Amino acid sequence: MKTILKREILHNLYSLRFLISLALLLGVFLAGAFSYVKGHEAALSKYQIARSQYDEAMRKDAESNATTLAVTMRTFTLRPRDNAFIDDAKEKYLPNAAVYSAWNVFSFENKSGNSNPFLNKHDDLNWAYMAALIVSFVTLIFTFDAVSGEKESKTLALTLSNSISRGAILFAKYLSALATVLLLLLPAAGLNLTIILLAGRTPLTLALVIELGVFLVLVCLLAATMAAFGLFTSVVTRHSSVSLLLSLCIWLLFVAVVPNSSTFIAKTIYPIENSETIQRKIDAAFDDLNKNAPPGSWMSNSRNPFLPQHELRARIVMKRLEAEKRIRDVYYRNMFRQFERTRLWTALSPISLFQYMSEAVVGGGYPRFRKVWNDLHIYQTQFLSFFKDLDAKDPKSPHWYNPFEDVSTTRLKVEAAVVPQFAEQPMSAGDRARAALSFLLISSLGACFIYLLSFVLFVRYDVR
Amino acid sequence: MIFLIARKEFLNNLLTARFVIGFLICLVLIPFSIVINIVDYRDKTVQYNVDSDVAEKAVKEIRVYSALRPEIVLRPEPLSIFSRGISGQVGNRVEIRIGDKPMLAAGKTAAGDNPFLGSFFSIDFVEIAAIVFSLLALLFGYDVFTREKEDGTLKVQLSNSLSRSRLLAGKVFGILLTLLPIIIFCFLFSAVVILFSKNVMFSAFEWGRIALLFLISLAYLAVFIFLGVLISARSRSSVTSLVLCLFVWVFFIFIVPNVSAYIAESFVPVQSRDNLDRVVNDMDRDLTIQTQERQKAQNLPTGISCWWCNWGDDGRLETYGNSRANFEIMLRKISISEPLRIEYADRKWAPQKTYLDSLIRQSRVAERISMISPAGLFRVIAESVCSTDVRAYESDMEQARRYRETFIDFLRNKNIFASYRYITAAPPESFQTEDQLIEIRSGGEFKTAREYYEWAAKQKDQYAAWRKISKVTAHGDQPNDFPFLSVSDMPRFQGRSKTIASGLADSAVPISILLIECVFLFALGYVAFIRFDVR
Repeated sequence: MKTILKREILHNLYSLRFLISLALLLGVFLAGAFSYVKGHEAALSKYQIARSQYDEAMRKDAESNATTLAVTMRTFTLRPRDNAFIDDAKEKYLPNAAVYSAWNVFSFENKSGNSNPFLNKHDDLNWAYMAALIVSFVTLIFTFDAVSGEKESKTLALTLSNSISRGAILFAKYLSALATVLLLLLPAAGLNLTIILLAGRTPLTLALVIELGVFLVLVCLLAATMAAFGLFTSVVTRHSSVSLLLSLCIWLLFVAVVPNSSTFIAKTIYPIENSETIQRKIDAAFDDLNKNAPPGSWMSNSRNPFLPQHELRARIVMKRLEAEKRIRDVYYRNMFRQFERTRLWTALSPISLFQYMSEAVVGGGYPRFRKVWNDLHIYQTQFLSFFKDLDAKDPKSPHWYNPFEDVSTTRLKVEAAVVPQFAEQPMSAGDRARAALSFLLISSLGACFIYLLSFVLFVRYDVR
Repeated sequence: MIFLIARKEFLNNLLTARFVIGFLICLVLIPFSIVINIVDYRDKTVQYNVDSDVAEKAVKEIRVYSALRPEIVLRPEPLSIFSRGISGQVGNRVEIRIGDKPMLAAGKTAAGDNPFLGSFFSIDFVEIAAIVFSLLALLFGYDVFTREKEDGTLKVQLSNSLSRSRLLAGKVFGILLTLLPIIIFCFLFSAVVILFSKNVMFSAFEWGRIALLFLISLAYLAVFIFLGVLISARSRSSVTSLVLCLFVWVFFIFIVPNVSAYIAESFVPVQSRDNLDRVVNDMDRDLTIQTQERQKAQNLPTGISCWWCNWGDDGRLETYGNSRANFEIMLRKISISEPLRIEYADRKWAPQKTYLDSLIRQSRVAERISMISPAGLFRVIAESVCSTDVRAYESDMEQARRYRETFIDFLRNKNIFASYRYITAAPPESFQTEDQLIEIRSGGEFKTAREYYEWAAKQKDQYAAWRKISKVTAHGDQPNDFPFLSVSDMPRFQGRSKTIASGLADSAVPISILLIECVFLFALGYVAFIRFDVR
């Protein structure tokens, strides 16, 4: 088997397809490295300006008074990731900011200016893109004629006339394709990484090394799946040209058809209420509260904090906040569910599966946003407790909590340094593993199943 | 002779697995893309109807001119079924404000109500055609000479009195004849689906554009056939030719369009939107200060009590039940603030235009880089033909900006900023003094305003004090006392005109490049075949 493996690898290495693949990968990885360095620098500088304004606004509000600090709505924006060169996880098209105050986490948004609406949607030239597009294609190109090609050149019968099992031949071909793909990928990825590290913006940490290692394992898994499909097309047909056509059909299905039908699936199979309906529900809840509000609840033309109407207004405003939160939280949960279920549909494609696992490994994309969203809710309750403690200590405060006005709670200034700050915590290894596990399972089982199918078909293959 | 060779090629190809599989790919993918995009277009049309009704209602159900801010709802482009272009990434609603020039349309994008869906990409007819047509052209062209050379039939053919030019022409026509039924099927199938779909109505304009798209598809197909022929004529074996063709295909179809957008995004910076928002906010603050200073110079008070007031952005103020003096003050204030607001909109437009230009520049650079690939060219032309490109969008926005000028002229012609109709539906002759209003509202308990205020100042419960002067509701205290404003004379937005030739001037260059590529590749293929060693 070693001999066959060696022969297959050498055969691949000396082939024209290896040279062209290497040139293609080197070219794209090179362009990706320079573009990433330039783009990441600009993104970081934009983020830093926005972040300093966020900090400054918080400091000013704290110096003004604790109630202003608590009721002012802030937009927390996610920092561009330093490991985005591995996988940007389409973060520029996902919500990347959350609006909150001490009273609530209100909404999320894709902060304007994150992507140019006049540019066609595109992937960044990162490692995940290269793997999803080029590695998957190259793997098929190295395997589509592994059996049918040898049959055509009459070498398969000759090989099988020796004392070697069909399983060993197939496995050697399988392994050789994986080894060839790794030999193609490693120099190109190494070049890309060297340029990015030399640019000095991305530090080489242990965490990054681990992420790179796990990512490469995922690439191997993708290559293994695609190689299994390549072998499958090779054993299911008698001519390499037909194998090639089948391989290309499968590749197109995985690269173009399944991932690009996601929006259609989401809207057709998992529809959610539209924003107009949600707004109508909120308006109806507000109308109901207004109708039942005691007279004078909306009177507000006084800065006297102890004006009795302030208490009435604070109560109704609080009820409105709770009513809106209830409706919106259900709406957001439905959005998350719609997105997650649609992703499960696209798990039909090993390339989509790879992308979902990859985003979990780098701690980006949707799992990252969900973690920030959940963490922000925890922080908001801490922030609210902090504010309520301050208010409780102020004898001049009427303690009538109003989430939108700075009238009827404490007017004391706060030391900016003691205000709890929200900081994004990177996803832990456990979080990442949980996000990737189901996809990993599907992908591994899929690869094994297709390989076994190829094996069964190869055992029954007529080599004459 | 050429016809004979073409016929032979056609019949040979017809029996191959690649024809069957190619036809099956089209049979699956084309209906898939058309159905998805018809559903998307239906959703957009439903949203358009909802938005239009809301916009129409908003114009009809107002009582004062300060609330009159017409909203333009851009009609979804029916041809987006074929090529989406940027139509799914931009909104469709443009509010006409006197304090801002329209920059980017608001409203829902293709992601609809769930912003997470924005991370999913979608595919349209043109993209599928770009992928499949090019693949089929290369698969039929890659072995056009190498296969015959390997079989030994090329030598035999050329030993007869058959010129290489005729053989080449015959083979090229043969491939074209093979692929023509597939392309015609794709377009015919799409046309039939559209004809039978109750959600889509195509006019002569749209059918004309589809015919144009068909012709461009033929040119696109020809480019890849000639490319396949060239590679075949330059290769020694079919395997080499095939591998080269496939990598060329992946490079042109998948890599170049993506790389072009990414490189443009990285190397052609777009102005920061946050920065623009900051600059605009500073100007708005400056507008407020300037307005207050000018009002102060006219001895107008900064604050004013109001009986029924509805304040909103862009100078919206609807008010009722005030004293004549207060109405006068309000009118004098708006006659200062509103012309200044219009002046500041022009000032804000300078940084907004710089930002907009930077977005357009970046997309143009991406577009130009993508034209390296015939698929990029095909997409650019198709978007232009289907009016879903940046130029069509900018043309709509330019129309909206012109409409804003017309709308402001309409307000100015009515001298509306010096008219009470801007802020109230109550006729000026019905305005009363504050003493009269206090007397009516208190049911005669207080005869003068002074009397009431002296009494109210002594009260602890301000709400109770206010209730004293709300005993009786005077006519004109509430907006419901007045009918809606009639704005039938308001100029209406006219969208851009649609003629067969409109907007096509911009695609003349990419069409020319595509045709030149055709000629150039054919010439190269011809030269390569003349020098081809048939042994």
